[in-house]
Amino acid sequence: MAASKIPKALTLKQFLLRQQVLGLYRDIQRSLRRVPDKTDREELRQWAREEFKKNKKQQDEIAIRMLLTQGKRTLREIESTVILAR
Amino acid sequence: MAAIGRVSALANLRSFAQLHNFRSTVCRVAASSVLKNGCCSAQIVRSRHFSCFKGVSEIQVFRPSAIQGVRHYAELPDLTFSQIEERVLGVLKLFDKVSPDKLSVECHFLNDLGLDSLDVVEIIMAVEDEFALEIPDNHAEKLFTPKDLVEYIADKTETFE
Repeated sequence: MAASKIPKALTLKQFLLRQQVLGLYRDIQRSLRRVPDKTDREELRQWAREEFKKNKKQQDEIAIRMLLTQGKRTLREIESTVILAR
Repeated sequence: MAAIGRVSALANLRSFAQLHNFRSTVCRVAASSVLKNGCCSAQIVRSRHFSCFKGVSEIQVFRPSAIQGVRHYAELPDLTFSQIEERVLGVLKLFDKVSPDKLSVECHFLNDLGLDSLDVVEIIMAVEDEFALEIPDNHAEKLFTPKDLVEYIADKTETFE
């Protein structure tokens, strides 16, 4: 098996989920970039990071999917709030 | 219908605002010139205020020759490999989790610098900011060393030397 040669290789499903999580993180950081105040922006970035780190060890696929959905909802919230704030 | 009404109302409002703005500037100019001349008669101020409508029609006739300038095209100078490398390393040095003494062109973000995948995402975004380009997700996941980044940017900005 090709997968067994690489240590800690991800299965396809895990790999795709990982992709989605990193994509979400990117989108969140992107939208936080538009926060006008510099200290607020830094604080929010730190917060986003910690939220992701908190669930770093999560292995359960369903749980990860749930967290992804939650993250997407938060992203939408951030986007609308950032637009309102300007 | 309602939409059209709103648009025209908006246009009216805007032209009114412009006119008002213009009037207030004219007023201010008039007032200051009055003060300069040492004449404080309110009568003169008012008469200048009303005559500003005449002023509008005069000023709005632009002579094209007066505003046409020389047209310039702006372009950045061509980047070189060493410039890109310098800027990429500069971005990385500014990143607080990277220790500058460990940093080299060949070092791997995850293995050598001890960063995590979230840091890599942030680095990619910082580089995007620096070079004003967008690195799509499927390309970003293949960039793991400063050298990869330099090569990718050189490719995107069409730098060959």
